[in-house]
Amino acid sequence: MHRRSFLATLAAAAATPRLSWADAGSPAYLAAARLPDDSYALHGLTVAGESLFGLPMPARGHAATAHPERPLAVAFARRPGTFALVIDCARGIETARLTPPEGRQFNGHGTFSADGAVLYTSEVIAEGSEGRIGLWDSDTWQRIGEMPTHGIGPHDIRRLPMSDDLLVANGGIQTDPTDRTKLNLDTMRPNLARIAPDGSLMARAELPEGLHQNSTRHLALLPDGRAACAMQWEGDAAETPPLLALWAEGALAACPVPETEALTMQNYAGSIAHSAKTGEIAITSPRGGAVQVFAADGRFKASFRRADACGIAAGPGGFIVTDGNGAVLALDAAGFRPLAKHALNWDNHLIALERA
Amino acid sequence: MIRLCLSALLLTAALPAHADVAEAVTKHALPGYARFAETTAALAALDTCEAEPLRAAWNTAFDAWLGVAHLRLGPVEDQGRALAIAFWPDPKGLGQKQQRALLEAADPATLTPDHMAELSVAARGFFALERLLWPADTPEGDYACALTHATAQDLARMAAEIDAEWRDGFAATLTAPGPQGRYLDVNETRQALFTALITGIEFNADSRVGRPLGTLDRPRPERAEARASGRSLHNITRSLLALRDLAHALHDPLPQTDAAFDRALHQVGKVDLAKLDDPGMWLKAEILEENIKAIADAAQMELAPALGSSIGFNAADGD
Repeated sequence: MHRRSFLATLAAAAATPRLSWADAGSPAYLAAARLPDDSYALHGLTVAGESLFGLPMPARGHAATAHPERPLAVAFARRPGTFALVIDCARGIETARLTPPEGRQFNGHGTFSADGAVLYTSEVIAEGSEGRIGLWDSDTWQRIGEMPTHGIGPHDIRRLPMSDDLLVANGGIQTDPTDRTKLNLDTMRPNLARIAPDGSLMARAELPEGLHQNSTRHLALLPDGRAACAMQWEGDAAETPPLLALWAEGALAACPVPETEALTMQNYAGSIAHSAKTGEIAITSPRGGAVQVFAADGRFKASFRRADACGIAAGPGGFIVTDGNGAVLALDAAGFRPLAKHALNWDNHLIALERA
Repeated sequence: MIRLCLSALLLTAALPAHADVAEAVTKHALPGYARFAETTAALAALDTCEAEPLRAAWNTAFDAWLGVAHLRLGPVEDQGRALAIAFWPDPKGLGQKQQRALLEAADPATLTPDHMAELSVAARGFFALERLLWPADTPEGDYACALTHATAQDLARMAAEIDAEWRDGFAATLTAPGPQGRYLDVNETRQALFTALITGIEFNADSRVGRPLGTLDRPRPERAEARASGRSLHNITRSLLALRDLAHALHDPLPQTDAAFDRALHQVGKVDLAKLDDPGMWLKAEILEENIKAIADAAQMELAPALGSSIGFNAADGD
């Protein structure tokens, strides 16, 4: 393309209104995967579990986040992450690539500001795992600043509804800067931090003392302003603490399960979702090969078995679940119903492209 | 000749291996659960308060349980049965506390089958029976004997239910996977059984050896499984033999895995988990732990490619 026509195209693009999610014909979900040749990709999925596109990723992916207005999403590398991809969801192409600054590592999750102008990325200082939120301009994709997460080893990060405050799951685990070796399991102290856009701490919630080895890792926002948090137990494997906690008014309350369910999840919750349709909260465990469903008040409802189930998001009838064997399944009170099976391994998360 | 060998090799690779999921179900799981049901029924049928016959029947039933205890899929997952059968490890001593409360209350109403089934999983199963049959500080008496019978009957009821549910449903779930079932295809059922194998091997290393092993500075012999009955090492042996049987049901031959099993089984004979305070014994037990972990490594290397299966992509990860 000649420079002049390129500029003309650019001018035309600027003059016409940007595409919105409604125009895009874009997928309902994003999910990272490993392919049979051991390469990695990010797929856009329909509600029926069909793939609309598979975009190559330079290395293993983790989660993604959707822009509130424009049909774009940012997909993050698995921690310690060295890249994030900006994706045009309508066309399934990469339009920009983010690299963390020297000495910082992406931790797999991010979220946008309410107006979509700023992307927030969950990061650590590589040495010591102190948490940082990276700030990126969503037009130029330049880094414009950073702020503390008020904890060690942040993982998931969400913007609270009708607010520009952020909720960060500081998992509490210090890891080796070069790999994922855990260094502080005896002294770890996870928290959920509510953080104002200027970086100041609005509220910090911790679990009771006996649960300090319960790493707070993944979050689901509830429509009433509360949040649900999925945890991973790093203490004695013979103990079976709750893996779900509800965050309300800046405090955390654990949601125990009946003793007959104590081993179901093998002390590990990989993902969490809330279904607006049923009002339920669900957590997944690939290690236990199960999904546990809770009422909105945290009461245990049921377990459903599915080997290596991990990705979960709200679906038309309840939830949609992805697993390491390539299946996409609908989950409701009647159990699982397979929607599609792909020749790949779905990774940790299924991201619903919920738009305002 | 080379070409002939190659084509023979290709032919072998293309043919389904004789050992597979169906064999693991019909020759390992189903007879194993049948034996578990028979032996617990025999224990429950004993109408005596004498310790010796009860202990002997309990030992026989526990041996049978170890033949299938690693199959943590299917009917044992329902109603917390795996926990209610064998509540170990129990780091907070819940089983002991709840049993003491039951003995102190001595309420005959507790002993009905319905009530027994509703008791905490910590107060039921093999370890509840072990505390009753090898009492430490609890005085034996009529109520303890009645509780022993009720606990044995509750255990036998669960075993009979699990055995029936395997025969009448879960066996077919594994051997005839499909879109309506829990497993969509044979790769998923192979993975389920392979995962049970590896997890079962790891449980022996991490829990049965690892928990009492502790650290050289702080060994924890009191944490050994089934200490009062003197079964701590016997349980490891029985479990490893059952796991080897499952491995061969899934695929045969397995020379590396067999060699690793042999090394670990040989090492069991050199260990006494009650004497871990002795640094020499501690090192022998640590070698046993390593030997058992080496079985899992060998099984992964030999079985995973043969089955075209592996531990789940996400289960093997953590984030």
